[in-house]
Amino acid sequence: MPETRVKIYPQDSMTAEERLQCVTRLEKPDRVPLSMMLYYYAPLHAGAKMSDYMKNPDVYMSVMKQVWHDLGPWDIYYNINPVSRLVYSYVMMMRILWPGIELPENEMAKIDEIQYMEMEDYDRVLTFPSFISDFKFRAEMLSRFCQDCKGDTTAKVFMKMIPGFLRQIYFWRKDFKWWRKQGVVPQIGFQAEMPFDTFSQARNVINFSMDLFKVPDKIRNCSLKVSDNFAKFSVLTARVMGTPLVQCYCHRTSNSFISPKQFENLAFPSMEIIVNHIVDAGLTPILHCDGDWFKNLKIMRRLPKKKIIIQLDGLTDIFKAKEEIGDHMCIFGDVPAAKLVSGTPDEVEEYCHRLIEEVGKDGGFILAGGCEIPPNAKAENLRAMIRSVVKYGYY
Amino acid sequence: MDPTQQKTASHFQETFLKFDIDAIPACAQQMIDSQMGIQDFLDACMPLMETIGKRYESGEYYLPELVAAGEMFKTASAIFNNQIKGDKAVLREKLGKIVLGTPKGDIHNLGKDIFGVLAEANGFEVHDLGIDVPPEKFIEAIEQTQATVLGMSSLLTTAFEHMKDVVNRLEKKGLRQNVFVIIGGGATEQSLVEKLCVDSQTRDAYEGIKLIKNFIQNKKESKPCRKHA
Repeated sequence: MPETRVKIYPQDSMTAEERLQCVTRLEKPDRVPLSMMLYYYAPLHAGAKMSDYMKNPDVYMSVMKQVWHDLGPWDIYYNINPVSRLVYSYVMMMRILWPGIELPENEMAKIDEIQYMEMEDYDRVLTFPSFISDFKFRAEMLSRFCQDCKGDTTAKVFMKMIPGFLRQIYFWRKDFKWWRKQGVVPQIGFQAEMPFDTFSQARNVINFSMDLFKVPDKIRNCSLKVSDNFAKFSVLTARVMGTPLVQCYCHRTSNSFISPKQFENLAFPSMEIIVNHIVDAGLTPILHCDGDWFKNLKIMRRLPKKKIIIQLDGLTDIFKAKEEIGDHMCIFGDVPAAKLVSGTPDEVEEYCHRLIEEVGKDGGFILAGGCEIPPNAKAENLRAMIRSVVKYGYY
Repeated sequence: MDPTQQKTASHFQETFLKFDIDAIPACAQQMIDSQMGIQDFLDACMPLMETIGKRYESGEYYLPELVAAGEMFKTASAIFNNQIKGDKAVLREKLGKIVLGTPKGDIHNLGKDIFGVLAEANGFEVHDLGIDVPPEKFIEAIEQTQATVLGMSSLLTTAFEHMKDVVNRLEKKGLRQNVFVIIGGGATEQSLVEKLCVDSQTRDAYEGIKLIKNFIQNKKESKPCRKHA
């Protein structure tokens, strides 16, 4: 597309898209790219009502434009605005309380960590036809936990989802056009919680920890069962969106939740199928790895080289991760949320500088917050982060 | 304990360390049938919790082992509590009382629940106030229970101001010096100890238990509590 030739800074020699592709291949770009994951921060910065921002796509777009004009630029646009709560619940598989519905108008959306899957459901998942196994599992569970389709039949859940899904795609395609005109690359063509992590969320961590001893094979087999359907739908959606990146959430697979052995035997096999499928389709998987992943990294070297981005949230030692896996996948992260809230601009700049120097050495690095930029981050700290790629990020 | 009781206790311990979760109720029943009291049961459990803690620290065990151990302990102790009456129900004192909760504005319960399970299994009396807890509720609970430990867990940075508010209220009430305040959760980091005027921070439930045990040990040895401005 011609608009992607727009440069973020005059001194850049690459576009943001070229820069992103370059770091994904672990090559050295002109400059360290920057992603600002500031979905929940944006309405507070712009003074918009959280409920309007989350419900009304026009409000969302104007808020994001205001933040871009106040703080920008950056290279990669983190797009998660859920036009349809039902579709958002489908991909994240979490019960979400919404401002203006279950919560006061100005509160941030919250995750209600409820258990919605029973032990017997593992057996049922194993009987699902493979080609619709992930759809069927998600739709059945949605009718148990999502406020917008509580108690509905699977068919009715799908009927309700179709318009939401189409609206979501229509919105993103329109929204991406504006961002591409600014020279920015959208980060997410499709996003979803990975199968193993979904089962952990669905059972809740205490039950799931017990399941790991009682029915490990069922967890592994259920994760495998839904993988193919998950991967194919990811690729299809990302293509329809025109954005070749698939964000795969791994909220419960770190060593903060499971052992490296459990990761290798129970979670990794389905991850491998999904990642390989996405890579084979010519797209880039972004593995959103919350928690401490250090001991899993060796196992992840079995995934395709120079094709994957791994997002770290500050709990994995990103400097050690660079040594362990920096020659294999692109590292994304990880300015800690607490630093952006209670640190000073100098502290933020110093940390970004270190990230750029050490993790960004020879390329293969994207500077970003450790997970989401917190809503109460200080604007001056975000400015320090954005400034750091200009000050220190050129190779 | 007589030889039969010792044998039954050993069988329980082996089952426990094999994480044969479904066999735990039967083991607990065997201990009751062999006339063991609640204190005998706790005496059998304490070395188990120590072993599990050490293996966790050494990297042999991970969260699932900690959680499963806590849950097996809860299952077995519930069976004892329901069936044992009279002299055999008498317990030695608990290690201490902990008031626990997720501060106002946050409804995440995961970290808090894991910590609560471990704290109970390690001999603490836990008063879990739940999620989205207003600052005044923490203070009320501290006053009512006379707890010497307050644990606040959060995944959101927006909870920091409420944590600080709780500490300020403790100060105003003159309770601060007697209460060890520990914060935890994915969004917290060490620098917050000073910024929020708390005593300790951790992202690891087991480490949290150790920090609290150290505090209680120091208190017994009459080491002065940290003084806050």
